[in-house]
Amino acid sequence: MKLVTPPRVSPQGFDAAMQAFAGIVGKDWVMATDADRDAYADAYAPGSQEQWPAGAAVAPASVEEVQAIVKLANEHKTPLWPVARGKNLGYGTAAPRMAGTVVLDLGRMNKILELDPKLAYCVVEPGVGFFDLYEHIQREKAPLWMSVPGNAWGSVIGNALEHGIGYTPYGLHARNLCGIEAVLPDGDLVRTGMGAMKDNPAWHLFPMSFGPTFDLAFSQSSLGVVTKAGLWLQPAPKSSLELVFDIPNAEDVGWVVDTIAPLKIAGLIEQNVFVPSWLGKMVLKGQRKDFWDKPGAIPDWRVAELLKEHNLGYWQVALRLYGEESVVKAKAEIVKAEMAKNLKAPPKETWWHEGDPINAYETTMGIPSAVPLQMSDWIGGRGAHMGFSPVVPATGDHVLGQLKRSRKVIDSFDVDFYASFTIGGRFANNVNMLMFDRDNPEQIDTIKKLFNALIEETAKAGYGEYRTHLGWMDRIMDTFNFNDGALRRFNEKVKDALDPNGIIAPGKNGVWPSVYRDQAREGRA
Amino acid sequence: MKRLVALSAIALLAACSKSAPSAPAQTGKGPPPPPPYQMRPEFPGGNRMAGGDGKTLFEYHCGYCHLTGGMGTNLLTKQRMAAGEPPEMGLLANRKDLTPDYVKQVVRHGKNAMPPQTKVDLTDPELDAVALYLGKAK
Repeated sequence: MKLVTPPRVSPQGFDAAMQAFAGIVGKDWVMATDADRDAYADAYAPGSQEQWPAGAAVAPASVEEVQAIVKLANEHKTPLWPVARGKNLGYGTAAPRMAGTVVLDLGRMNKILELDPKLAYCVVEPGVGFFDLYEHIQREKAPLWMSVPGNAWGSVIGNALEHGIGYTPYGLHARNLCGIEAVLPDGDLVRTGMGAMKDNPAWHLFPMSFGPTFDLAFSQSSLGVVTKAGLWLQPAPKSSLELVFDIPNAEDVGWVVDTIAPLKIAGLIEQNVFVPSWLGKMVLKGQRKDFWDKPGAIPDWRVAELLKEHNLGYWQVALRLYGEESVVKAKAEIVKAEMAKNLKAPPKETWWHEGDPINAYETTMGIPSAVPLQMSDWIGGRGAHMGFSPVVPATGDHVLGQLKRSRKVIDSFDVDFYASFTIGGRFANNVNMLMFDRDNPEQIDTIKKLFNALIEETAKAGYGEYRTHLGWMDRIMDTFNFNDGALRRFNEKVKDALDPNGIIAPGKNGVWPSVYRDQAREGRA
Repeated sequence: MKRLVALSAIALLAACSKSAPSAPAQTGKGPPPPPPYQMRPEFPGGNRMAGGDGKTLFEYHCGYCHLTGGMGTNLLTKQRMAAGEPPEMGLLANRKDLTPDYVKQVVRHGKNAMPPQTKVDLTDPELDAVALYLGKAK
């Protein structure tokens, strides 16, 4: 990818910034060739990767190096796009929102600084991936479980900061963060919570600060570079029971949510309950062409045939309970009785006890895997996916309303419908997975138009997304329209006060510093 | 189709048992160790610009997809079998037809579902060592 410099930075000025960075990290860790820029492009971009070109990448190895780079970036007016491991696949990978921004790759900062089996937490740097932490816990034989996203290539901290979701009792990953260290846009270093006091041992245990609590102000944020964080982990349970319910029809998801959400809110069910539609199972069984070889959406009659052939319900609820066996048994009876009010067929039950082997792909037991990404093979070619992810209240009415709305829009574009709902308690997170071939321009064009239609229709009904791809950050921020976009104005005021040069992640989640506000129209998908 | 699915599942299992290092003997109670792709060697550390042992570097940096059970292995097993090869050819370490240059090309540019790997993922000297280890067709 050819060099695109940040706005108002000349090639000479950019080169001077790179040389200054090399003085801090060494020339090997300043990556500014065409090939380097390719490696930091959005590999799953909907359309040309050149819409979101990085100017270069720089990879510090320590907090001190991050501070030095941030100060130099201010001097050289060269903005930085911090990434933990740069595996935010489907949302932009490592690529920056604004063209020419330099990726600040924290992948070399990959130390697990603490693992406390008794108080069940760890302290990690941003470069620590889910596999790294899992393997460390296994080697230490610590009685702790993680919560993992579908793709566990990524960073533990990065995923939590991007509001990633898992399927265990600790599945709301941002809520597991406790005590953050961050380099501010002027290079200053701050620790939140009890960590604001030197050597306070409760830094990663008490989740609030004296005064305003800023931990989550660094999530989906451009207010600083998180250099370490505490993260709460789940104590390994003595036993666990999986109850798998096959739910026959699309509209059944209404009563499913009305049954499960109250149990989750009351604490009887602890995990985030994932309710995928049938296509989620089918993508692991082969390629689309094995089941339907025409370009348009798979028709309803063929879907019905496939469900029958593969003995699948329209939805599947794989619900997991955790704890002492007697407690799990008692909980299971209550869950089964509640489900039986609407579903005759009993669930398939699978017990696990301490010491038993764990299925290698079991995300509900916190096992990291990238296998769910195999769905990129469904379409064939260079497969890619994007998720349209609105949040709705966890009631049957809201969920069915959203299902009908997104289904209508997706059907009107003649695209396969693959929805899931994750019941997180009071809310349900609806992910509509849109799969496409990166080398098929017509398909990409359809997906982009479809995505815009989904945002518009969903916002009209009063719902918003929890996370999105670079190309839609501004459009989604526009949907948060209370008091004529007061949240955006507030974000911009804070941003300008803390980061007058707009050095950290300009445009992240629709927040533009005043110096780059003229760039907000660029790079929209 | 059912048959094909069943076949590839069996093939995967076969690939696991045939080419994965055998699990250490179990002493007393306790679960077996996680599959290879979830128990890679530890980060070798040291100077990442000095390269190192190709096998260890491959298993650490590429292992979470390309050891037994990983997503890359699963997809490649399907692909190799469709080409009429035995399932264990889904493991890159068993391939005899890869050249070092080809390995470097795929790592830096990606292929199909695999995204390109940066120099932070794998430095040039580390990639040289991995390419020599995997590139058995010299």
